[in-house]
Amino acid sequence: MARDWQPDFEQLVDEHQSMVFSLALRMTGDRGLAEEIAQDVFLELDRHLGKIESAAHACFWLRRVAMSRSADALRRRKVRQMDLWVEIKEHHGLQLEPRTSPLGGRLEGLLATLPEPQRAALVLRYQEDMTPEEIAASLDAPVATVKSNLQRGLKLLRAKAAIHLKEYVREKEYARGV
Amino acid sequence: MDDFEQELRQAFARQPAPLGLKRRIMQRRRGAVQRRSSPFFVWWGMAASYVSLSLCILAALAIYGGYELRQAEEQRKGEAACRQVMTALRITNHALDHMNKQLAAHNRASQE
Amino acid sequence: MKNRIIAFIFTVAALTAPAFAQTAQLPAPSPIEKELAARASNVDEITLDKNTLAFASRFMNGKDKDKTATKQLIDGLDGIYVRDYEFDKEGQFTTEQIEQLRAHYVSAEWSSIVREREHNGRESTDVMVKIVNGKTVGMFILDVEPKEVSIVLILGPIRLEDLNKLKGISGLDGALGGVEFNTKAPDKKSGDQ
Repeated sequence: MARDWQPDFEQLVDEHQSMVFSLALRMTGDRGLAEEIAQDVFLELDRHLGKIESAAHACFWLRRVAMSRSADALRRRKVRQMDLWVEIKEHHGLQLEPRTSPLGGRLEGLLATLPEPQRAALVLRYQEDMTPEEIAASLDAPVATVKSNLQRGLKLLRAKAAIHLKEYVREKEYARGV
Repeated sequence: MDDFEQELRQAFARQPAPLGLKRRIMQRRRGAVQRRSSPFFVWWGMAASYVSLSLCILAALAIYGGYELRQAEEQRKGEAACRQVMTALRITNHALDHMNKQLAAHNRASQE
Repeated sequence: MKNRIIAFIFTVAALTAPAFAQTAQLPAPSPIEKELAARASNVDEITLDKNTLAFASRFMNGKDKDKTATKQLIDGLDGIYVRDYEFDKEGQFTTEQIEQLRAHYVSAEWSSIVREREHNGRESTDVMVKIVNGKTVGMFILDVEPKEVSIVLILGPIRLEDLNKLKGISGLDGALGGVEFNTKAPDKKSGDQ
């Protein structure tokens, strides 16, 4: 039976390059590495284009491969978890984009201190707005494990963010000369 | 979803892809396509296919003997054991971290 | 007080000399664990005997620094027994159950080196070591929080300095970056959790 949906590689790149890049960036904390991963993911998509059945399948496939390659890159590169007390000052190559949210500018730094499974669950939950069941399918993990990682990761992130928020407020006050 | 999670969602907004990413992807893709269709690559591909076929036959014999399966199974079990060790150590770390916080709080309370 | 922490550190240093590993048996689970598991929203139950630890250790070779550090930590141990129960809400276990857990795992041979109790009774930490012929052959940690109970039993020549290395191993980060046996702690004045 002929497929109704025909994959257009360039269109898929246009549509999903930000998603793939963001996933890799949040997992690795390294823009250069994230771009490498994004390129590799799309080239792998090109090799498997014939097996992609729909637009939704393409999105699922890209997320899954982006997360898998990011995890592999992490294991190879061993992006070290930063000490909580020094990460404010040492960005370790991270580019913290200024954002309206005080948390936003520190997010990559805080994320990098989380264990990889928790980081992956949080990124898919809050960046991609996925349910635990969808995350489990993407990561090929049991749903209970995903829920546990979400719970633990959120708890850790809250603790770290609370400390950083104080630092953020202090820095702002210092800059204003308070 | 509480305020913190809402803020997380905001902070987790997708970052735009770097300028030129699409161009670089398309360039690499063109390069890959050219390599796949060049005469040298075709010849190399055929030669590799014959070699691959021979290796496949040898591998099939090895698999039939059970060696590959056992190795892969052992690797899988070893990685599972490693994960168990890491989970156990993570829980230990958490418990000792809590202890440390309690000790520090006790210390501060004593000094006040 | 500061003296308490200093005393703790000296006690640890005195008690935790490396010991020849005595092959010890991991305990049978306490019946309380089943009760806790039935009420918990998340359960981790890990039992690693000497053979399993040795098997895992074989896969921790190579250039991976974290694996090498972990391997150094577990080599020579007789077993690791860990139970962790997380609950959705407080009040899912009683003080009596915690006492029964403690009694199940430790006997007269165990010496307490940390015994922390929150004044409201909802949080506590016990760290105990087993000394045989002057050598450490085991460590027991019972950590109780309002919504979490953790039991850690490590058999073999384990030292607290070894556990301090957990901080440096990627993937084991605690809420504040791992174990620190000093008085540095986050500023809690703002009341942030």
